[in-house]
Amino acid sequence: MKLRQFIAIFVSKSTILALHLIRRGGTTLPGKVASKLYPGILKSIAKDFEIIMVTGTNGKTTTTRIIEEILKKNNIDYITNKSGANLLSGVTTLFIQAVSVCGKPKHKVALIESDEAAFNQVTKHLQPNTVVVTNFFRDQLDRYGELYSTLNAVKSGLERIDDTTTIVLNADDSMCASLGINTSKRVIYYGVNQNAYQGSSEDINSDAMFCIFCKNKYTYTNHIYGHLGGFHCTNCGYSRPTADLECTGIQEAGSSYTTISWKCTSALLQDDKELITRINLPGLYNVYNAMSAAACGLALNYSVDTVTSALESFESGFGRMESINVEDKTIKLILVKNPTGFNQVLSFLALDSTALNVAFLINDNLADGTDISWLWDVDFEQLNSISDKIDGLITSGVRGEDMAVRLKYSGLDTHKIRIIKDYHMLIDEGLKKTPSGGCFYILPTYTAMLDIRSILMKKFNLKEFWK
Amino acid sequence: MFNLNICHLYPDLLNTYGDRGNMLALQRRAMWHGINANITNITIGTAFDSSAFDIVFLGGGQDFEQEIIQKDLLDQKGSEIKNAISSMKVFLCICGGYQLMGKYYKTWDGKEIEFLGALDLWTVGGSERMIGNIVFESDIINDNGNPLKIVGFENHSGRTYLGDGIRPFGKVLSGNGNNGTDGFEGAIYNNVYCSYSHGSLLPKNPVLTDHLLSLALKQKYADFDSLGELDDTFENAARTTVIQRILR
Repeated sequence: MKLRQFIAIFVSKSTILALHLIRRGGTTLPGKVASKLYPGILKSIAKDFEIIMVTGTNGKTTTTRIIEEILKKNNIDYITNKSGANLLSGVTTLFIQAVSVCGKPKHKVALIESDEAAFNQVTKHLQPNTVVVTNFFRDQLDRYGELYSTLNAVKSGLERIDDTTTIVLNADDSMCASLGINTSKRVIYYGVNQNAYQGSSEDINSDAMFCIFCKNKYTYTNHIYGHLGGFHCTNCGYSRPTADLECTGIQEAGSSYTTISWKCTSALLQDDKELITRINLPGLYNVYNAMSAAACGLALNYSVDTVTSALESFESGFGRMESINVEDKTIKLILVKNPTGFNQVLSFLALDSTALNVAFLINDNLADGTDISWLWDVDFEQLNSISDKIDGLITSGVRGEDMAVRLKYSGLDTHKIRIIKDYHMLIDEGLKKTPSGGCFYILPTYTAMLDIRSILMKKFNLKEFWK
Repeated sequence: MFNLNICHLYPDLLNTYGDRGNMLALQRRAMWHGINANITNITIGTAFDSSAFDIVFLGGGQDFEQEIIQKDLLDQKGSEIKNAISSMKVFLCICGGYQLMGKYYKTWDGKEIEFLGALDLWTVGGSERMIGNIVFESDIINDNGNPLKIVGFENHSGRTYLGDGIRPFGKVLSGNGNNGTDGFEGAIYNNVYCSYSHGSLLPKNPVLTDHLLSLALKQKYADFDSLGELDDTFENAARTTVIQRILR
């Protein structure tokens, strides 16, 4: 160094300032500039941070935000990236902002959400102390390629980092759990016990039905959803590992929260008694997000009290389930991006007891995935079981017409399906049909969410209803 | 009442790109036309008796899964599939399913993997994937007096080449098609229809779906004449939106 590093940080910080002055919140450009001037910049300035990384296909953002809540409860001085800045350049920008011009860290902990496809790149520069891997579900094949390539990329990333790292893995996901086999790192597994939840039977369209090690078909003692569950290979013996932290029961699945019981093995807690926690999030997929974040928190030796209070107080953000009150009605925005996530959102809608009005906003921009074939892997057929409750379905976005076709072929009454491309009209129509005290659900893909948010903000004069 | 038996081959393995939509389209449209359609899933270890089926569907899978089925496909189901093809059964094979019907797949480093050899075509691995919306035109299917424009989405690195007896399914209007160079997409032999297009292919190309259903019904019932009209407003809207967007 250190002149080169100094210049890189200085120029990059100036870029951040300049972007800020012209009111552009650039999160990637400053990092790109810095890496161009000094390719070793990230490695150099990040080395004194204690780093927690979260990756996987589904639930990264929610998991990261719950871990953030745990850090807050423990008064930890931390930095963290926003979900839109989870590639190498965004991560670099974050660290540039977090060090002095001389490269000295201004904070203790860095909590990093990493895109699963970028994880292998990011770990060339960062040495995480803890890595949480949420799961592997098919996601945007046009962008990431095949699911097994994604898994292998994460595997290479993990192999690159020191053996002192703790890895927190999903026991119920045969792909994710395989990352804990043949490693000398400390492995913590989390999962949902087979007695906690009786999922549907085998889903023939799910990922990973055949053994990752020997290609024999798995047998399952139980299914949770997708390929998650009690898998077992009768040929090579690979099976669901024992979970160190396990959800043992679901007491109540509300439309805005979930009450669960859970317990840990001595790997995480001395005390093995069952705990009851009301997670401030609905939906089974959020039970997994909560379990993974809790396992991470306990693996980092934060107290069980701070972990449970984080789960109870956590509030989701940025389209992961946001509410806007409009007079006596509520608009709920829920991001959808891949089949498994979408299926979970649909099961969540079924919990609503009033007439259902739902809008599906499907775009096919790069950030959404340019291939919309995935809509056909979503189980919209499950809506047939609540068809009496469905009042109106609106489809919109660049691919609103395709979405209407999808709903039609699920067997739902086509009279209930309307294509409304104009977002203002869509909001008006949806709210008009929603009964007093009821909820109008808007399910957008990523870029559609950005569009509908800015329209909602203007329309209802909201000032940053999200953080 | 007419009755169609549809076989979904390897649904638990060749299911990567939303190809389930093709089964839904066949089943729903048959129903809307007043035809009874039964779907049977047949996978590794289950016997495939081609005489029991009128339409056979094969989707695309990831390399991992395609390796798993290869032995079962060649040793257990190969001869029945070839029988079915020569007895003019209707097949729809998408992406990986299309490649598997051919003679072999040659990887980029020259390794040859033996495939079924039911059709005279072969695939060579490429380094770059061909990904994006595709529109192709098929003069084999009539759409109100014009060749049918078919829309889909392709995502493949294999380049497929057709032997002498095999006709291309259509001419590429936008996209890459079979190999990105000769301007053709898919393959047709007897009543076997192969394509790289998923999306899913059938739901938003209802004329193609009805064409396949009609072919199967003609094979089976001497008194079958033709299918009636359905309300395809949504399907046509989805199809024309894509066509207008990429064929400006």
